[in-house]
Amino acid sequence: MKKILIVDDEKDIVETLSFMLKTKGFECICAYDGEMGLSLAKSEKPDLVILDVMMPKINGYKICRLLKFDNKYKDIPIIMVTARSQDEDKIIGEETGADEYITKPFEFSDVLDKINKYLG
Amino acid sequence: MTAIATNITTAKIFLLLNQNEDRGVIDDILAAQNYEYMEASGEADDILTQIHHYMPDIILADSKAPDCELIIKQVKSASKNQNAQIILFLDNETPFDVLNTIEGFVQKPLKTDILLSIINSHLKIKKSLDRLYENNKELSRSLYQLNVLYNTSSQFAGTLNTDKLYEIMIEAMEKTLSFDISSVILFNTAKKPVFKLNTIHTPSENLIDALKIRSILNYQSVCEDRTTLAKQTFEDVEVVKKVKQERSNKVYGLESVSFDSLFAPIKVGDEIYGVVELFRQIPFSSEDVTCFQAIAHQVALPLRSAKLYEEISITNKKLEKLEKLKSEFISIVSHELRTPLTPINNSLDIVLNEDAGKISDDAKNFISMAKRNIQRLSGIIEDLLDLSRIQAGKLDFKYKNVDITSSLELLKNTFTQVASEKNITINLDIKEKLPEIYADTRRIEQIFTNLVSNSLKFTPDNGEINVKANVVNEEDIDFSELISPVAKLQGKYIKISVSDNGIGMKKEDIPKIFDKFSQIESSLNRNKGGVGLGLSITKQLIDSHLGAISVNSKEKAGSTFSVFLPLKDDKKIFEMNLMRDMTNNEDIGIARITHEYDFDLINELKDMKLIKNTPLLKELLIKKDNYTNYIFYIPKISYDSFNALFSAIENYCNQKYENITLIKSHSAKDGDNIKELAENI
Repeated sequence: MKKILIVDDEKDIVETLSFMLKTKGFECICAYDGEMGLSLAKSEKPDLVILDVMMPKINGYKICRLLKFDNKYKDIPIIMVTARSQDEDKIIGEETGADEYITKPFEFSDVLDKINKYLG
Repeated sequence: MTAIATNITTAKIFLLLNQNEDRGVIDDILAAQNYEYMEASGEADDILTQIHHYMPDIILADSKAPDCELIIKQVKSASKNQNAQIILFLDNETPFDVLNTIEGFVQKPLKTDILLSIINSHLKIKKSLDRLYENNKELSRSLYQLNVLYNTSSQFAGTLNTDKLYEIMIEAMEKTLSFDISSVILFNTAKKPVFKLNTIHTPSENLIDALKIRSILNYQSVCEDRTTLAKQTFEDVEVVKKVKQERSNKVYGLESVSFDSLFAPIKVGDEIYGVVELFRQIPFSSEDVTCFQAIAHQVALPLRSAKLYEEISITNKKLEKLEKLKSEFISIVSHELRTPLTPINNSLDIVLNEDAGKISDDAKNFISMAKRNIQRLSGIIEDLLDLSRIQAGKLDFKYKNVDITSSLELLKNTFTQVASEKNITINLDIKEKLPEIYADTRRIEQIFTNLVSNSLKFTPDNGEINVKANVVNEEDIDFSELISPVAKLQGKYIKISVSDNGIGMKKEDIPKIFDKFSQIESSLNRNKGGVGLGLSITKQLIDSHLGAISVNSKEKAGSTFSVFLPLKDDKKIFEMNLMRDMTNNEDIGIARITHEYDFDLINELKDMKLIKNTPLLKELLIKKDNYTNYIFYIPKISYDSFNALFSAIENYCNQKYENITLIKSHSAKDGDNIKELAENI
């Protein structure tokens, strides 16, 4: 079973998203802030990370950079979730190094398409 | 002008006699005429000092008096008493050359009437000379004042700072009027009212308060509309004082208020900015008054400009802050709105997909309805964001070659599903192979998504929407139908028309639909949904592409929206973006070109049309192991613009030369060592 880490400070988003992913046969681990997300990413070695941009403590960009610039974790695909569509360049660009991004409110089918691109 | 007494009876006469010779005649005259007089005593030096202090109008000198010749010569050569009239009593032994330096003479023995008439006529000469001298002095003083005034006026013109203007004014008054105390109160400027005191010696605290009150009262007395001052209390006025000779022990006390004073308002028309008052122990002359008024008058106009300027800068700062707040607000609001929409949407998905258990068909319908409205809501949020970004000039465009045909085909596919729900047919009519345009794909799609969804909204069931695209020349465009403002149209355009057979609109309503938040209320009653931002955004996106839009509509017969996009003129759009970029970016784009030939590549590049107008292009040249390394860098350029520029240069070089390596970097920031960075790329 593929393991997906969901990092978002919005508990409702984490809950609905993990519910949907579980119905599609994924194992989900959840983190509710940046620090927790980063440590889970390192300890659990998920197959994919869904990462919110705007979070207290450590924001999503920083976590993404920390993972992508670390040889041990750089191959884990990261899908960033943002509420601002203008963030695209910053997320996908060299600066952050994320693999994909989706804009809130997202369609579950879009998320699934993007996940299957890497884990399918 | 000070009148000079012409009454000759006030004459001062200095007597340089030879013992008591001729005393009888002199005494007769002095007794009869009531002249003031003084007699010489002591040695030649003493006598000269006496003359120097006494300042006589007439010197009566006996040529036989001791040292007479010497004293005459000394008096005449000193600048003081030059106008003193020397009348010499002479006899046959008097040397002739003395006569050249003196004004008059009488032959001895003296005769009363002759001497008196000579004294009187010389007195008249002396008084005339004095008057002339005084006039001359006044003239040169006026000239000096004029000169200061002239310099001051050019200084006034050079600044928009009220403090500086005040300093210039006081300096000019100091130069021309050498006052003891100046007190100025400035109201009605964009800043707080301020009372400025400039003195030579230290003023006492009592005096400062007294002058401050006096200034406020003076100001009130020149203002007809005193209500504006009701709020200005004594405490509101800030005191700024400047003492010229702080170390002197002299203190100006309250008695200084009784010095001679000049007072003038600083005003333009009815607007009074303040009052200025000068105090001087030595009374002011009428010329001083004129000069004072001229300076006070001169400062008023620049003060008004400065005031307006300050007001504008304050407003500007407020506006900038407001603009920033607005864009922050929109950004935060959009985030705050989108975030809760996400779990709503997710929950609906879970229920709709029956992942949380079976639901009835009716339930599915209602959940679908909720989902549709969430999509609409997020569309509106997106529109709002776009509009605010366009207005703030923050919308980024990624220009590249776009195949409009495939964009339109994609669009048609996207809408087929929605259109079929209303049984509307979308026809795409492209007869020729369209050339590529230089545009931002996402924005182009946004333009046509807006237009088609707009048509869908207003087309009745079973209607038809026709999308047509073809190439036109500028002369084929009907300018009367274009929505202003229109950029200058030139050359060839791709014309894309979206026509529907919907409800149409009145001619006078057409321009309104491009306004923000406008749907033509009477005919629509807002029942078609949307907040009416789509067309406003569309127009602005088209403007950004240097295009135009026209509308042709008949009520109840349908509308045709035509978009004109300029054919690939990358140079123009590129330059436009480059210029916009350069003001907004802090990055420095660096590239290195390495080759083994010896030619002037940078100059060739500069002749290329694309970068001809890139004024900030800087070059460095490094030779290393037979290879020439050209490094060029452009400060303040965005990643995209630099990329575009670089690929153009790359194309050019690769076509023209072999064995040429181009390396680019974009990571420099202001202050980095460009040369070092470029060498290590």
